[in-house]
Amino acid sequence: MSQQTIADLLFGATAGVYLAASVLFILFLTGRSERAIVWAPRLVALGVPLHAAQICVWSLVLHICPVEGIHFALSVGSMLVCLVYLLARTRLKVDVVGAFVAPQALAFLLASRFVGPVDAEPRLRGALLPFHVISNLLGIALFTFAFAAAVAYLVQERRLKSKKLGGSAERMPPIDALDRAEHRFLVAGFPLLTIGILTGAIFAREIEAGGAGEIARAALSYASWALIGGVLLLRAAAGWRGRRAAYGTIVGFGLTLLVMLLYLVRSAMLSGPGPA
Amino acid sequence: MILVVGLSHRTAPVEVRERLSAGAEALPVVLSRLASRSELREVMFLSTCNRVEVVALASEGRADDALRAIREELASHGGLAQEADLVPYLYDRRGEAAVTHVFRVAASLESMVLGEPQILGQVKEAYDAAVAAGALKGMLGRCVSRAFSVAKKVRSETAIGAGTVSISSVAVDLARRIFGDLSQHAVLLLGAGEMAEAAARSLGKGAKELRICNRSFDRAAALAGAMHASAVPWEQLETELVQADVVVTSTGSRTPIVTHAMVKRAMKARKGRSLFFVDIAVPRNVEPEAHGIDNVFVYDVDDLEQHVAKGLQARHAELDAAQAIVMQEVSQFLAWTRGLEVQPTVVALRARTHAVLFAELERSLGGRLKHLGEAERAALAQMLESATNKLLHAPSTKLRSKAESEEEGGDARELAGALKYLFDLPEIASGKGEPGGSEQSERSAGPGRGDDKPAADDDDGVRH
Repeated sequence: MSQQTIADLLFGATAGVYLAASVLFILFLTGRSERAIVWAPRLVALGVPLHAAQICVWSLVLHICPVEGIHFALSVGSMLVCLVYLLARTRLKVDVVGAFVAPQALAFLLASRFVGPVDAEPRLRGALLPFHVISNLLGIALFTFAFAAAVAYLVQERRLKSKKLGGSAERMPPIDALDRAEHRFLVAGFPLLTIGILTGAIFAREIEAGGAGEIARAALSYASWALIGGVLLLRAAAGWRGRRAAYGTIVGFGLTLLVMLLYLVRSAMLSGPGPA
Repeated sequence: MILVVGLSHRTAPVEVRERLSAGAEALPVVLSRLASRSELREVMFLSTCNRVEVVALASEGRADDALRAIREELASHGGLAQEADLVPYLYDRRGEAAVTHVFRVAASLESMVLGEPQILGQVKEAYDAAVAAGALKGMLGRCVSRAFSVAKKVRSETAIGAGTVSISSVAVDLARRIFGDLSQHAVLLLGAGEMAEAAARSLGKGAKELRICNRSFDRAAALAGAMHASAVPWEQLETELVQADVVVTSTGSRTPIVTHAMVKRAMKARKGRSLFFVDIAVPRNVEPEAHGIDNVFVYDVDDLEQHVAKGLQARHAELDAAQAIVMQEVSQFLAWTRGLEVQPTVVALRARTHAVLFAELERSLGGRLKHLGEAERAALAQMLESATNKLLHAPSTKLRSKAESEEEGGDARELAGALKYLFDLPEIASGKGEPGGSEQSERSAGPGRGDDKPAADDDDGVRH
């Protein structure tokens, strides 16, 4: 069996497991199966080693180090999100956040394979590159989780405010747990994002980046860093919790995601359609 | 015949119910009095705050006498001069209706709050007391232990126990949706009303601390003593709003005590930490506008009652499914009791066959076969035992199966009569309610095996 076949099989298996986990989370949230919440995180746990194996084999097939190039970054990032979820779910009692994590992992996995050609960024080399990529990936993984917790918080808070409970509200974690989880992941992700921004600025100077796209990406990165920093600062200084913090987290994550998408789209536009 | 005589929240006011109730001390006395009545073969006394019932197995053909005896004992236990004073409040059930009633009570289908879980524990306590008093040993014991598994089945296969159906439980449920585990959160009770106290008690159980604030500090201190809480002066109300996470209000004030501005100030001092108000007072104690402040949740009595009504509605929607389970189980139990009617015939037939064969064996062993050693003799006895079992297995099973069938019960009685006539079997009293009996019977255990309560010895004396 060739390495390419093994990589394809692992890709299919990982996607299948993430898809099944997503379906189970939806079944739980819609009240169709109470047992689904037991099995869905287990499937995510099964998906992570499959995903890691897929990344390793695929990088061997393409002769690209996983820390080079946006496609691998997306794939590794989504795997890290699942890993963070698995490590945090029991401690923070936010199992249901997997309802966002599993579909997101599936979407990123598919995007990493089917959006644009998979290639390394040729201009970026050097000792700082792994720091830049890994800190960004970990930071995004943590922000993804914070984003999921913020969305769940807003849903649950809206139900409590409107006094319309029942249905999926009964299956959601307490809003304080969601708020706490969101805050902790922001606190953990912010230093990593800071490292990513700093190393990114150094790279930008080295390669003398000056295109409109590159400037926009840099501006969005700085904006997301400032926004998330602001959310943390206001929470500590002025008690910005709950709804306001959740909105700030969502916008901050949205900007970070936009930066990733700009990388992906630019890569696709420069190189035409990728291998399916 | 199984009988139920009793009264409940539906038939009797609390003054009557409390006269007849029996606590831990009185229960053995009343049970022993009931058990001593010759009209009753078995008896159990169930006493809860909403229900007092005597469940009994009447002696053969004495159902009316048994009902009268129970009424007399209840009147005497309640200190009433005559039985007639009690009659307007009492209901009675016989046979199938009684079994259905016992199953329904255990499954909480007769409870004031449909699906409440406490009743099952109360029935178990009554069962234990009756077993300890030696008043429950046969068919009635089986009936009650069967009721436990029926109740479990109803709870697991329907949503009869789901949802929250009291103000207190809704308040606890909401607090958990906001804070999760309450062990790190403080509860403050403002004022003192029965409902607020109950809610504060429920919330305070899992909370870090419970504090009570009342216009009268003495009253707050007295209540705090009773509830293992701490009292705080009324003047500290605003400071307390910064400390507490759940505030239960129930004062008689005509104007709101907790204003929007006050909550806003408290939230600033709390640095945005969530604050949950359970406002049970009418007129309301908390300005409803406070609900609009970020991370503040104000639920008044209407909001809470709306959720109670939804919970009850959801439980009532499960009633049909629960009743279907009960009826199915009643029918299985009754089939088993009908099977008991032919049990004496089966036992007698087995005893007769056994006696004849072993008498012949003894004769042969004393004559032509006297040279046989111990091992051969034991083997012959074993062979006859085995042959008896095999020979009588099919007729016993068929006869019992016919008896258990409601339609073929008459056929079974005729067949039993024919067996008695053909084999000249002696008359044996019905096996119903009689523990012990033949050791040779192969009678099945009937419904209820695997119950969570150890059943009394099989009333037909079967060993397995």
